[in-house]
Amino acid sequence: MNEVLVDVRDVRKDFHVGKITVNALRGLDLEVRKGDFLAIVGPSGSGKTTLLNLIGALDVATGGVVSVFGQDLSTLSRRRRAHLRLTSLGFVFQAYNLVPVLTALENVEFVLELQGAGSERREAAMSVLDELSLGELSGRRPNELSGGQQQRVAVARAVAAKPRLVLADEPTANLDSENAEALLRMMRGLRDEHDMTFVFSTHDPLVMSYASRVVTLRDGRVISDEQKNSDAHEHRRAN
Amino acid sequence: MAVSSTLRIAWRNLGRNRKRSLLALSAIAIGQFAFLAVAALMNGYGDDFLDSATGPLVGHIQVHAHEWRDERSIDLVMENVDAMLAEIRSDPDVAHASARIYAPVLAALTEDGFMSVVVGIDPEAEAHDSGLLPAGTPRGSLGEGSVLVGRGFARKYDIVPGMELAVVGQDVDGSIASGLFTVADSIGSSVEIVNSLGIVMTLDDARDLLAMSEDAHEIVIHVRNSDVIDDAVSRLSAAPTLAGSEVLPWREVVPQIVAMIGMIDAFLMIVLGVVFIAAAAGIANTMLMSTFERTHEFGMLLSLGCGPGRLARMITVEAVMLGLVGVGIGSALGLVFLLATSQTGLDYAALGGGDTYEVAFKGIQMTTLVHPRLYASDVAAGVVAVFLTSLLSVIWPIVRIVRLEPMEAIRT
Repeated sequence: MNEVLVDVRDVRKDFHVGKITVNALRGLDLEVRKGDFLAIVGPSGSGKTTLLNLIGALDVATGGVVSVFGQDLSTLSRRRRAHLRLTSLGFVFQAYNLVPVLTALENVEFVLELQGAGSERREAAMSVLDELSLGELSGRRPNELSGGQQQRVAVARAVAAKPRLVLADEPTANLDSENAEALLRMMRGLRDEHDMTFVFSTHDPLVMSYASRVVTLRDGRVISDEQKNSDAHEHRRAN
Repeated sequence: MAVSSTLRIAWRNLGRNRKRSLLALSAIAIGQFAFLAVAALMNGYGDDFLDSATGPLVGHIQVHAHEWRDERSIDLVMENVDAMLAEIRSDPDVAHASARIYAPVLAALTEDGFMSVVVGIDPEAEAHDSGLLPAGTPRGSLGEGSVLVGRGFARKYDIVPGMELAVVGQDVDGSIASGLFTVADSIGSSVEIVNSLGIVMTLDDARDLLAMSEDAHEIVIHVRNSDVIDDAVSRLSAAPTLAGSEVLPWREVVPQIVAMIGMIDAFLMIVLGVVFIAAAAGIANTMLMSTFERTHEFGMLLSLGCGPGRLARMITVEAVMLGLVGVGIGSALGLVFLLATSQTGLDYAALGGGDTYEVAFKGIQMTTLVHPRLYASDVAAGVVAVFLTSLLSVIWPIVRIVRLEPMEAIRT
């Protein structure tokens, strides 16, 4: 049994819109284990993004416990949560979210700089881009990149500091199937080679086909948790 | 290097919305240019005014008999002036000292008389840049009944060299004083009383006319450096030969001019305030718009673990950069204005379509031709003002950023 990185217990999250309270998560339980390539799926409003935000220390649960790497996030200050995000988590957003005034290389380098990396960070950033076959794009700014290229650079940025857990919110939502598949292959490669854990929220059947585990949400609760053969996708493709 | 990347990001962010950045830069640059142009003109005007004030008429220090300044009575003289001058000139800070005699008289060319003032001077002692007879003025023919008259005075009464001028007045004893003098030439002077009323003669001729011995009404002193005026006044006040006289710095002689210079400084502060407001409005607007537009981006950066402090620093550097580039452009324009006008001068009258003319204020003649002057402190004042304004203008955006929650910002 692999190490539990994320332990979500009886988590509730309410949003208040005027006088209306929206129960986004209603007593949700989930464990994320080291090496998971986990897709969280479900209809709109089921709580996928909310769950991802709670795991990513971007938001705070209304009730229950969210533990990441053994730390109960509700006990962490704003600064400690930011530190956790910086040092142990990687994020890939639906819209590419690169800093528009920085080149691909500088975007990756920026995260390393935030972590306090010294003069070696440029080389490290370039090596990440090269590893992900993005070296040729290093000098381009986001507006000079296609959507697929931007998202791959965003992944490079997310994994540059070798985080233990990468959270991706609908990473393929704006990509065509060819780019989406390239992105997923890249992330799977990172998981296999660098022992990273990936959690996606998605609607995309392609992501589900690549996932080693698919958790389905409905109305803020887990309704199914399916462990798949991690090589299933390659097997299907080979056939 | 966090600093270099912060600078790089700030610089590139200024280029994201070029129109808006250019508008803000223009506002700041125009503000700084306006401040420097006004400062240069006011400095030129003020410095000319000060030079005139501390020039031929008033000097840096004056010595008189007590109450002479209030009464201007011809008999309120200082005695033993030669001994006083010798002591004054022995002071190491004194560059020039000259005695003068002033006496209102009636002058006449024919049977018609007109009001005039006899100004008795020592031509040698007045022959310096701040004297009554600076280089180039005809003084060789002064003395032994030969006089110079003010140019305005000569023009008004059609006096030309060679004419004989009858002078009638009152001597120090109260008796009638009279004499006949030959006009050697006319002189232009920045001293209004000399220019429009003056009959300039040697001290000896004036003393003969007014029945004075070694007396004079005034000693005008110029020191080597205006910073030592007060020290020189203290020393001279304690000098034995000057014990019965009043020794005054120019500020006490012409307080109106001091007030006017103070007014110029106050005016400059008002203009500086306007620059402040223009810069603040430009930078604050730009930074506010910029931070509102980039809320999503800030949310993303916060999600990545970037601290609010780092974001605040980025915004601050951006604002300071915007301000300093703007103030740099404005300063460059101001220097171009200075280069273009400082030598030839700028004529207020010509701007209005007229000819250069001179006006008198408190006995000092001023011209409408101003030679703009700028000091490093003027440029620095604008730079510091805009720098501070830049810092102030980002307070609100920074407060907003510091309060941002990553997810709320990303949803924006």
